Amino acid sequence: MNTLLSLADNLQTFWGYTGFYNVESGHIIMILIGLVFIYLAITKEYEPLLLIPIGFGMLIGNIPFNEAAGLQIGIYEEGSVFNILYQGVVQGWYPPLIFLGIGAMTDFSALIANPKLILIGAACQFGIFGAYIIAIEWGFAPNEAGAIGIIGGADGPTAIFLTSKLAPHLLGAVAISAYSYMALVPVIQPPFMRLLTTPKERAMKMKTPRVVSQTEKVMFPIMGLLLTAFLVPSGLPLLGMLFFGNLLKESGVTRRLAETARGPLIDTITILLGLTVGASTQATTFLRIESLKVFLIGALSFVIATVTGILFVKAFNLILPKDKKINPLIGNAGVSAVPDAARISQTVGLEYNPSNYLLMHAMGPNVAGVIGSAVAAGILLGFLY
Amino acid sequence: MTLTIQTALFIALVGILGIFIFMFIFYLLIKGLDKWFPYEEEKPEQDLILDEVED
Repeated sequence: MNTLLSLADNLQTFWGYTGFYNVESGHIIMILIGLVFIYLAITKEYEPLLLIPIGFGMLIGNIPFNEAAGLQIGIYEEGSVFNILYQGVVQGWYPPLIFLGIGAMTDFSALIANPKLILIGAACQFGIFGAYIIAIEWGFAPNEAGAIGIIGGADGPTAIFLTSKLAPHLLGAVAISAYSYMALVPVIQPPFMRLLTTPKERAMKMKTPRVVSQTEKVMFPIMGLLLTAFLVPSGLPLLGMLFFGNLLKESGVTRRLAETARGPLIDTITILLGLTVGASTQATTFLRIESLKVFLIGALSFVIATVTGILFVKAFNLILPKDKKINPLIGNAGVSAVPDAARISQTVGLEYNPSNYLLMHAMGPNVAGVIGSAVAAGILLGFLY
Repeated sequence: MTLTIQTALFIALVGILGIFIFMFIFYLLIKGLDKWFPYEEEKPEQDLILDEVED
């Protein structure tokens, strides 16, 4: 009889540790969201390299367990494996390493060939500051508003880097929001691109860009680094690594390092970052009204960035000579989200003029957007940290 | 308008102006690179050999 009672006790204890016993509605909601991410990544191919790790991380982070038992398995439990991996996000190590890889895979030729396109990358940063004002209006503290605003930069690593410094408690919401909207750029941007342009503007062909010398390509990251370091030192962790990666690519003598940076290194960091950011959306800490507000402001920031980019090009065209006018369809590309935003310019452009290849032109504002959002992050860090 | 909003507007204004100034300096830098290191079409090897012979 005693043995049976003991067995029943053990079974009850075991039952208390299972996910079925500890599950709450929040876990189910987050698991369903994670499954939607995985579904979108596989069937729609929306940013699969990010959405699969994030979606699976959401499943991992929302497996219900007895938090009081001290099992050290949750991402927020000090000493757990996921907590150790999550330090790369919390301490801001992963974003600069991702920027190193981005630098090693980015060709700045389109920007160097037509430098006025860099100003589109500046105009789109209205999305960041617009969202920052909205977040303040909606009751967020200034440091939180800065972290939320950076979603408008459409740059995941920058968003994570700034949020880890300004408002670590919003990391999950900001990161998921940034990556979700980056994946949804093909859905968010085209309606505004069509709404704000005329058929004639959409069909406009741009002049073929000039050839860029190899010396220019090598000098660009060096001069870019020095300019950044002297003007916005707080942007150095991101832009310093971006230009370093680019020098590895363009120098022509560090091919192995460049290949590692844009291949195995960025892949490893992407896996760790995606998985841990996904796991950080543990229902008990993530499902709050603030997270919903972050998502809403994030959506608005993408819209503001897209609209200001396109309107800026239209206004800029008023003062440009006839042969140097810019197709406003590349205005959206200034939001960063490399290279998806540039691809959208190309896709929408081809719908209205099948012989119009806007991709090479759109890559200019697209990479300028990466620089612009990192500078914006540096400025916000300087004011709000 | 509260002080928080006023401060936020100030930061936004300084931020966006700062980015435009930064990008404009970057624009000048790229213009400078084009001027200092212009693209020169590479001569085919045959031409280089001919040049040496002429010398």
